[in-house]
Amino acid sequence: MSEQTLFRLRVRYVKQGRLRYLGHLEVLHTIERIIRRAQLPYAVTQGFSPHMRAGFSSALPVGTASNCEWYDVFLTELVPPSEAFERLKAASPVDLAPVKVGYVDVRAAALTAFITCAEYAVNLWTGDASATESMVHEALEAIRVQGTIAYLRGKKEKSLDLTRTLAGYALAQAGEGHFLLTLDTRMDNDGALRPEVLVGALNNYLDGTPDAPIHSTGIQHLTQIPRYEVTRTAQYALSSEGTHLDPLYVR
Amino acid sequence: MRTAYRDCFDQLQPLLARVEKPSRYIDHEWGTRSSKEADYRACLIYPDVYEVGLPNQGIAILYAALNREDGISCERSYVPWIDMADEMRAAGVPLLSLEGAAPVASFDVVGLHVPHEMAATNYLEALDLAGIPLLARERGEDDPLVIAGGPSVYNPEPIAEIFDCILIGEGEEHIVELCREHRRLRDAGASRTEMLRALACVPGTYVPSLYEVSHEGACTVHGYTVPREGEHVPDVVYKRVVADFGATDPVSQSVVPYTELVHDRLSIEVLRGCARGCRFCQAGITYRPVRERTPDQIVAAVSRGLKETGYDEVSLTSLSTTDHSCCSQILERLNRNLQDTGISVSIPSQRLDSFGVDMALQVAGEKKGGLTFAPEAGSQRMRDIINKNVTEEDLERATRAAFEAGWRRCKLYFMMGLPGERDEDIIAIGELAERVLQIGREVVPKGQRGGLSVSISVSVFIPKAHTPFQWCGQLDDDEVRRRQKLLLDSVHDRAIRVHYHDAATSLIEAALSRGGRDMLPVIMGAWKRGARFDAWTEQFSLDRWLEAAHDAGVDLRAVARNSFELDARLPWEHVSPGESRGFLEREWRRALAGITTADCTRSSCTGCGICPTLGVSNVLVGDRS
Repeated sequence: MSEQTLFRLRVRYVKQGRLRYLGHLEVLHTIERIIRRAQLPYAVTQGFSPHMRAGFSSALPVGTASNCEWYDVFLTELVPPSEAFERLKAASPVDLAPVKVGYVDVRAAALTAFITCAEYAVNLWTGDASATESMVHEALEAIRVQGTIAYLRGKKEKSLDLTRTLAGYALAQAGEGHFLLTLDTRMDNDGALRPEVLVGALNNYLDGTPDAPIHSTGIQHLTQIPRYEVTRTAQYALSSEGTHLDPLYVR
Repeated sequence: MRTAYRDCFDQLQPLLARVEKPSRYIDHEWGTRSSKEADYRACLIYPDVYEVGLPNQGIAILYAALNREDGISCERSYVPWIDMADEMRAAGVPLLSLEGAAPVASFDVVGLHVPHEMAATNYLEALDLAGIPLLARERGEDDPLVIAGGPSVYNPEPIAEIFDCILIGEGEEHIVELCREHRRLRDAGASRTEMLRALACVPGTYVPSLYEVSHEGACTVHGYTVPREGEHVPDVVYKRVVADFGATDPVSQSVVPYTELVHDRLSIEVLRGCARGCRFCQAGITYRPVRERTPDQIVAAVSRGLKETGYDEVSLTSLSTTDHSCCSQILERLNRNLQDTGISVSIPSQRLDSFGVDMALQVAGEKKGGLTFAPEAGSQRMRDIINKNVTEEDLERATRAAFEAGWRRCKLYFMMGLPGERDEDIIAIGELAERVLQIGREVVPKGQRGGLSVSISVSVFIPKAHTPFQWCGQLDDDEVRRRQKLLLDSVHDRAIRVHYHDAATSLIEAALSRGGRDMLPVIMGAWKRGARFDAWTEQFSLDRWLEAAHDAGVDLRAVARNSFELDARLPWEHVSPGESRGFLEREWRRALAGITTADCTRSSCTGCGICPTLGVSNVLVGDRS
């Protein structure tokens, strides 16, 4: 089968509600099942172990929600985008529903290579209701100035390079002991900023134990921040002029 | 007051951060069927974690059957893994259903699946987490009706007093009738005792509290179970058989999980029952008669099921799928339909002949992992005793065909501790494996021999109720260990890997298979000492069980080991899959004499008694080869 006969459908979808507790592989398998239930004419790889030709944007940690996840699926026939969208929607759990679809060039870069920027909104609730915006801000600045955060992924010791991955952040108080932290992050082959690592570091600063170990597990149990919710709010590439490039409008 | 039915997910949610695999507890899967508004609510529980329980076909069938019924809503629950169970207890969160996240104690009926003996402590774990009294006699008017059913109810006595009702046999029609009757009684304001008496009149329903244990006359130390004085309940509760298996919906699954499972695929039950008559096999008796679905029905069901679920694999399930009289035709048609979809077909096990290999070849595609065969015993003498109608030539032909077709890994299943077994039979297991490896080396070209491997898996024979070996005792666990060592010593080639079952787990399984109501204090004692998930090797502790047995004054080794007299009334004869005792006795004598018995789907009736007793018959859709 030559590349010319294939069509590359790109789908933006959400991961929200209870389904934010799904792991990346669980999401992948579910989406493949959605595509089969939608009866889209998906292409299959040739060879030893034939499987659906599809590609996904980078993994979201367990517990993290998103309104801007993406996948590509290669089709053997052109299905009008509005019809493809309706069929996918009808075959999806609402908390993994498609938002929009469109076709992109079959030779376009993979989603993981194209997307270099991600934004997050982190709602966090401090155990201490009297915590002030300036306290939290001070802690965040201290972490930013430090430049790296050491953490554990399983038993592996790792380091998050903030100078490369954190382009900016903003903090606002949303209520008593409730803060909204927005993160503007960068990702490349060497890694991405996992918000929970930053939240872990923030917790340790607020706790007065800045060197306490941080476990990158998606949903942590923290001493000073008993509850937090992370949502990925945007994923895009940057043009040479610095404007945002949406994954659906690539050439 | 009955616990209120209400959504309690907000209580569970904070715990999700602290446990492994939170997706076990979140529900919201594709294909759930329960309804928010319902007059009568059932919750079916599989006594293990989500990913073990979800693929269970029995639960899927009952879930669909109950949710089809007007006014009845059925939800699911599973036993939370130990991390979550401990968190729930610490936080005071009760066991919840999945769909409605409602307390299990708020349902009208709570049904527990009985998959095997080692689930015993998990019924207690589930009920305790749910806040439901553990024993039927402790439950009051506001507690749910707690019922059980499944493949392992044919000696219900060790767990009988936990349940209000035990459903014997095929449940798809039975559970609906039972729930309807329960709803009627509830609406009529019947007391719990009145309800139980009325439910005992629904055919196939065993109500343990209306029976008692007697030790009069010839019987075992466990006694036998008879109706209580004055109770008008059947002396023998016969299993239910669906009126027309071919008329039931072959697509039973609807719920598609997020979590990856061991058996993550669509399952279509292509036939029910097996009449090969292996004398150790309980399923071979309890699933009779043999009933096949038509090829048209199967092929249509596969298309519909795949479309509804989106799975990329379909398994044609049954006790022996390659025995289906149209197996080859079915696989050909499915392969044609599924070409270029990346969707694969699988069959659970291979028949030990070249036909079995041909069928395996039809579903294998390019991928040829391992091929599994079950000779069950190493010597011909032993295979004749157990009525495994397979010769060494059959095995040689099958494995030769498999190696020639491109398979490189071969797995062989055996049992040890079978009645009449001698050391030479154990040594023969090793010899058979070496013979298979030798065939592989003859057939497989020199350059590819590196990938060649033969593995043997040897379980411990456990005598089961309603089989010709039900009178046998189990081999002592020390003797099991000696024979396991003998086996290891008799396998010389390093290309053969040997796996064997834990002797301690087998000891408990045997005691729970053979004992009576006297086992309940042992089960409860083990659970109180922390036993749960006993089917998980790393969770199992023999010491808990031995201590509990000691406190209860029960010698577990004696319960497992002691054989029963042929004329003794056995602890399980008040529930029956319909076989005649005379047939089992005859089969036992033939076993001792090494005489085999034919398969009634390939010859004439062998007189097991099930068809005349239950008013049923084999239904084949073609001629069996």
